[in-house]
Amino acid sequence: MGKYVVRRIIAMIITLWFVCTITFFLMHSIPGGPFTREKELPEAVLQALNEKYHLNDPLWKQYVDYMKGIVVFDLGPSFSRPGATVNQFIEDGFPVSAKLGGVSVLAVIILGIPLGIISALKQNRWEDYVVTVLATVGVAVPGFVIGTTVIYIFSAKLGWLPAYGLTSWKHYIGPVLALSGFSLAFVARLTRSSMLEVLQQDYIRTARAKGLAEGVVIYKHALKNALIPVITYMGPMIAAIMTGSFVTEKIFAIPGMGKYFVEAVGNRDYTLIMGATVFYAAFSIVMIFIVDILYGVIDPRIKLED
Amino acid sequence: MAENAKISPQQWERVPAEKLEKEKISRPSLTYWQDAWRRLKKNHLSMLGLVAIILLTILAIFGPMMSQFDYSDQDLTMSNLPSKLEYYQVSEDSYIYLHKEYRLYSLTKKGEVLEKLPEAKNDMINKFRSYEIDGKEVVVDYSFAAAAIKSGDPNAKKFEIRIDGEAVQPMGKVWNKTYIFGTDHLGRDLYVRVLYGARISLLVGLIATVIQFFIGVTYGGISGYTGGRVDNIMMRIVDIIATIPLLLYVILLMVVMGAGLKTIIIALGSVYWVTMARIVRGQVLSIKEQEYVLAARTIGASTWRIMARHLIPNAMGSIIVALAMNIPSAIFTEAFLSFIGLGVSAPMASWGTLANDALGGLRTYAYQLFYPSIFIAVTVLAFNFLGDGLRDALDPRLRK
Repeated sequence: MGKYVVRRIIAMIITLWFVCTITFFLMHSIPGGPFTREKELPEAVLQALNEKYHLNDPLWKQYVDYMKGIVVFDLGPSFSRPGATVNQFIEDGFPVSAKLGGVSVLAVIILGIPLGIISALKQNRWEDYVVTVLATVGVAVPGFVIGTTVIYIFSAKLGWLPAYGLTSWKHYIGPVLALSGFSLAFVARLTRSSMLEVLQQDYIRTARAKGLAEGVVIYKHALKNALIPVITYMGPMIAAIMTGSFVTEKIFAIPGMGKYFVEAVGNRDYTLIMGATVFYAAFSIVMIFIVDILYGVIDPRIKLED
Repeated sequence: MAENAKISPQQWERVPAEKLEKEKISRPSLTYWQDAWRRLKKNHLSMLGLVAIILLTILAIFGPMMSQFDYSDQDLTMSNLPSKLEYYQVSEDSYIYLHKEYRLYSLTKKGEVLEKLPEAKNDMINKFRSYEIDGKEVVVDYSFAAAAIKSGDPNAKKFEIRIDGEAVQPMGKVWNKTYIFGTDHLGRDLYVRVLYGARISLLVGLIATVIQFFIGVTYGGISGYTGGRVDNIMMRIVDIIATIPLLLYVILLMVVMGAGLKTIIIALGSVYWVTMARIVRGQVLSIKEQEYVLAARTIGASTWRIMARHLIPNAMGSIIVALAMNIPSAIFTEAFLSFIGLGVSAPMASWGTLANDALGGLRTYAYQLFYPSIFIAVTVLAFNFLGDGLRDALDPRLRK
């Protein structure tokens, strides 16, 4: 176990280095540099800007400086807003996004898993069909369609939910639906199929044969094993909810990191894009690492020494 | 022993022909692909998906040609016309439609939009517009609008139409025959734009998947066939790439190369090949142990020949399933990118850009969002159904 964790940490550091390097060189391969405007800046201003942001240094020096900055969590200044740093954007935006993302993850777990269980237990009955149809459609409808539909029906037509912002519990309903829709549907499908598979196992028959109550059989013996594939999906789900926040926060005008990131893409704020990409990638890689470790703890059949 | 020696003469007779029939193979022998197609045909949902995809492709190719409009034709007088029109009758043959922006349009009874009517008078202070139609004076009085918006009641009365001083009620609703999906804020026909968007979206899905196919098959094939240390290093690289949220790199590539159709295809194709590489490697690892590969090697076939003639064709089943599953995700990602403003450049349109354009006028012109969204959902659904069916049909483990 210990050996495995150490190996994974080393792999994680290599991945992070890889991510930072690719991001750095991709951003620096843009022709023209960050201050190329339609209306050209005066030569002196351009020189001063380049001087200020060390863009006149040789590329390798800029790279070394950037990597040094990353080690101490300093992602540099923002190009589009003078005085602001990338760290400030993350400090402002990330807590908001994390709250919304956290609620969405909870929604997936609290709603998706029970829906899958119901569907599996009532196989080929109407409950199953309702869940299957919802899950099939949920996987096919993009988050921005869910979000805009919620705004149109519940905010514009019925006036039940606020259309933008994130101040009361009511504000969460729309964004969380948009953000968790895909994962919720996916988890419900996954839980259903893995539950159906587990229910056919011999140990379930044994548990029933020795006279255990149906509730104990299902929740103690079947569910525990059926949830293992669902846990593997946690890593990709975190990535999906993270990237989903780009559109959701844009639609609902939520001042989170996703909105800032999309704005940075629109403004071609290269340092902010670079910083946010590195941050997002690092966050997701660390989360996947944690999920993998947890996976090994939960399922003793998996040998983590490999 | 003695009894056995006695063989009755009947036993020497020929077995009748009908008994030999039992030995016959009654089912025609099917190739792998015939068998897969037979099983796919039995799966109604995936056939439905296949039919939907074919229809959509035909519509995407020929639909824009059949229409009288081009995807980039602008007509500002015809902006934001919905697909369902509430109409009023002025006289025997003359029908009018009141636009949400309080302009009048003349219609035919069938729902063809003729033209935007010229105003006789536009009084912006007292908030009414008057028109001369068939010798009658038609007045659009929108002075109630401000109070209605203030009251917050979405059903409050906002306007009144008076014909010769008499208030009239709408006759009913009719489908817009000129612009069946309505028009956007620049007066472009949404039907043509949605079908044109289908071209872009399907093209992106298809070509990006083909690029993934080539990279993935080459990478996975080399890794699996060579084996050993090369395989180990190549797969560690794949492991590293797989933990990175790749959408970020698609976005980054789009920023670096500049938005556009070519960029989307290249970005999607060059980033999402990892799953394909893993699948191909897994298949190649098992297939390369087969005797026919050994036989090919003994007669001196080159590595490339073995790859191209033996390994890849035999791994095709899993590859096709992966391809079918990748197309909808490419379409999905393209819509996502277009929605955050990294899509094809105007006046081109994909479903994502159409949805993004509709966002601004969502409260009043929701139909502009409805059509592209429905098309995305139906397409992704169709490909998902087809992919599921293909997986069941091509997976030999499920073979009966």
